[in-house]
Amino acid sequence: MANEITLSVNGAKQVVSVAPETPLLFVLRNELKLSGPRLGCGMAQCGSCSVLLDGQEIRSCVTPVSFAVGKRVTTIEGLPAVWAAEKGLSAEDALKTLHPVQQAWIDEQVPQCGYCQSGMMMVAVQLLGENPNPTVAQIKDAFTNAPPSPHLCRCGTYAAIIDAVQRAAKAMKA
Amino acid sequence: MTTKTETFRDAPFPATITRRGFVKMGGALFVSALFPSGFRALAVENQGSPDPTLLASWLEIRSDNTIVVRTGRTETGTGMSAYYAQAVAEELNVRPETILLVMGDTEKTPDGGYSAGFLSGMSNVRKVAAYTHQALLGLAATKLGVPASGLIVVDGMVSGGGKSVSYGQLVEGQQLDLKIPVEGKFPQIDTTEWMGVAGLDGFTVTGEPPMKAMSQFKVMGTSYGVPSIADKVTGKTKWSCDVTLPGMLHARMVRPATLGSMLISVGEIDKKQFPTAEVVRKGNLVAVVSPNEWEAIRAARTVAVSTKWSEWGGMPGSENLTRTLRAQKWGAPSEKKGKEQEVHTALQRAAKKISSTYEQPYVRHAPIGPYLAVADVRNDGSVTVWTHSAQSQGLRTRIAHTLNVAVEKVVVLWLEHSGQYGRTTYGGDGAEGDAVILSQLTGKPVRVQWTLQEDLAWSTVSPGWVSDLKAGIDANGRITSMHSAFYSPQESDARLLGAILAGMPTTTSKPGMWIATEWPYEKISNRLEEVYGMPNMGADSVYGGLRGNIMRTPGQRQQNFALEGLINEAAAAASADPIQFRKEHTSEPRLIELLDATAKAAAWEPRPSPHPGARKVGSGVVKGRGMCIMLRANSYWVGIAELQLTLPTGEVKVSKFTIGVDPGKVINPRQLERCMKSGVVMGLSEALKEEVTFDKEKVTSTNWSRYKILTMEEMPEIQVVQISRDDKGFGGGSEAANAVVPPAVAAAIFDATGVYARRIPLTPDYVTKLLKGEWPSKSSRS
Repeated sequence: MANEITLSVNGAKQVVSVAPETPLLFVLRNELKLSGPRLGCGMAQCGSCSVLLDGQEIRSCVTPVSFAVGKRVTTIEGLPAVWAAEKGLSAEDALKTLHPVQQAWIDEQVPQCGYCQSGMMMVAVQLLGENPNPTVAQIKDAFTNAPPSPHLCRCGTYAAIIDAVQRAAKAMKA
Repeated sequence: MTTKTETFRDAPFPATITRRGFVKMGGALFVSALFPSGFRALAVENQGSPDPTLLASWLEIRSDNTIVVRTGRTETGTGMSAYYAQAVAEELNVRPETILLVMGDTEKTPDGGYSAGFLSGMSNVRKVAAYTHQALLGLAATKLGVPASGLIVVDGMVSGGGKSVSYGQLVEGQQLDLKIPVEGKFPQIDTTEWMGVAGLDGFTVTGEPPMKAMSQFKVMGTSYGVPSIADKVTGKTKWSCDVTLPGMLHARMVRPATLGSMLISVGEIDKKQFPTAEVVRKGNLVAVVSPNEWEAIRAARTVAVSTKWSEWGGMPGSENLTRTLRAQKWGAPSEKKGKEQEVHTALQRAAKKISSTYEQPYVRHAPIGPYLAVADVRNDGSVTVWTHSAQSQGLRTRIAHTLNVAVEKVVVLWLEHSGQYGRTTYGGDGAEGDAVILSQLTGKPVRVQWTLQEDLAWSTVSPGWVSDLKAGIDANGRITSMHSAFYSPQESDARLLGAILAGMPTTTSKPGMWIATEWPYEKISNRLEEVYGMPNMGADSVYGGLRGNIMRTPGQRQQNFALEGLINEAAAAASADPIQFRKEHTSEPRLIELLDATAKAAAWEPRPSPHPGARKVGSGVVKGRGMCIMLRANSYWVGIAELQLTLPTGEVKVSKFTIGVDPGKVINPRQLERCMKSGVVMGLSEALKEEVTFDKEKVTSTNWSRYKILTMEEMPEIQVVQISRDDKGFGGGSEAANAVVPPAVAAAIFDATGVYARRIPLTPDYVTKLLKGEWPSKSSRS
């Protein structure tokens, strides 16, 4: 049965009326019309649905919406505001800003089909928050061995992702 | 579900996307005195799509100097939308940023054709731009009172005689009346054709308009960015999965229990638990629909449990694949070419003969995002489909055929979605069949989202192969003759699954294979090539069994694995360095230069394989290196693999891969590098991990822990070599890289162990059995 659930998504308060066990993914996509997180495997095996929950990457396809209550949900649509807040930018400047991870993904031309890349950027943001200067081995480890599964890209953009994470790391220190 | 919030973005874009009767062309036409004569305007049955003989169907110059280019081809994830913009910008002398592409919309684009067929697609828009350039020069000459020969164009600004005018000013308020010469036709169902559908090539722009010499290129050859990337990274892209329509139902499919099961009874829905969900059924097509996606998902799960299907078990089981292919009575070859008598004679006279058998399993496209489609079938007979298919016109024709409506009534709109690597090239497979049938049955727009398990079980697959090859080597260690025979199930079955299950019309290809090899060794003149085809595995099922379809670098990926394997075995038999051995069998300067450049980049030390320290027993790690080449679509490729093999476990770790290409003129070096590296990742995935498994009833590799693909940690260092030339035309680059990986990895295992791997994937289990001599792999030397 549907309940009124209050969420904090990309800095805004959202009230949705949904069954509490509904996976967060379907609430973000169908109720809040956010297209960044996308359905892949539906069982936490690929990472294309990943979002940040209080800064930690989770798989929204298997996370009940009730689990997100009281936590900050961030999708790629909300990354510019995250960066603007970190840098203390004015509201006007914040609108013109991309998160360095997003900018690096553009500069390095990472996406091919791009379907998995929202999830990849979520891993990158979390990694760079915890380790501002990751080695290639540490980047590979973060995208492969963090539970619950490796982040998979069928187009094979892994090399571009590594380049982009390193570029973003430099930009964030500048 | 309802939502209370004030911070929404606008309603999702699809509310404004019903564009029936949309203005088909905005720009304009004029007759240019400079237009080359001698072409006939083609009478085109354009089926409601823009007329490809009219310039305005292809290209529109707006008064703000932006240029709209329309092509039925689509972006498949390899960057061709950048290359199209570069080609048009080059011929028009404008900046590529001013080009806006409209792709894959049957109501707005004129040509159709294969999205993967980038070279022909680019040739089309490049010629259209070149014709337009000439026409614009004519207009400017009149306007400025300066002969066309005295005009120069920079960034869309035409100057001459001290005056200048922009393209936008030239055409403002005018009709550009220019005819474009084309050949071809839109797809039509034609069961006499091998594919079952004619016209999948779409239209070709003909004639020879004046075009820029490659040495004069300013935009082609630069690393222009792919236009769609910024929106993909910021969340602005509207993907096909983002389409929502008023009153739309979400559907989840309930598939048969096996690849041949017929429906006995449909399970019921507990309306207390799922008040908005309904079962929809036609023939063996069963779905659960609801306005609420999560309710559709949960209700479909319960319906699946209680739905009853008949038993079926007509598959051989994937562990018996090779045995089954061997037992097949193949009949006459689908294609055969070469010098039969000379090859037999040369083989008999050879100082050494090598005879080897190679095997490959079923593999699949396995997109990260499973199939999805949205359809709106109206009572007035109109059909609108939102798709991520790479063949909008072919799909449109197939849908019209299935629903028995006129093609003109069907509109197919392409949007970005997960890459599919050739799976929708023929306009079929996909969720579109499900979506149109369910929309017709419910009278509402329907969004069909397949699950991963469903995608990995029910979409088409790239079939398994066996190959028998023989080579004769003379006393000087040169190959004097080569005989290759390839055997495989059908590889072009692109029927719409929904139509198959519902028992509605849908056409397929005839069984048969094609010779995909482009021969790079012209010094091996005595060769005989044969390919044999058979129907799908499990073809006696009412649904046709495991439906085979093309996948990235089709045919050649499989054939090159065997051919280059045999060349590597022949080099070893001749005690020759594998690169030097290849150079002795070709005089093609492009290939020789690329071999040298790639070898240098990989610090290749000339010596025969196996490595002097090679061993197959004992503890610890052995190292090896191996290589292969390929010629495909005017591009030469070289792959060099370096690996470590842990003997006790059979685990293979590729530590470095060097890949070189000479594709003639490189259009976009950075994007080509991205495609080469990502192609190596896919190729390593095929070489080391991928195999579709099935039992007698169904596919069993239906999630990512059973259908394993390469992870980031498993990716080696990848080094790229590119050679660009101004005098050899354009070659393919978006695919092919995957196909130069498995033969190089197999050769590196031979180098490390002295045992040749004639099968992929090179899993620890297979490698261990291979090294112990427990794998039944035929090979003999005499």
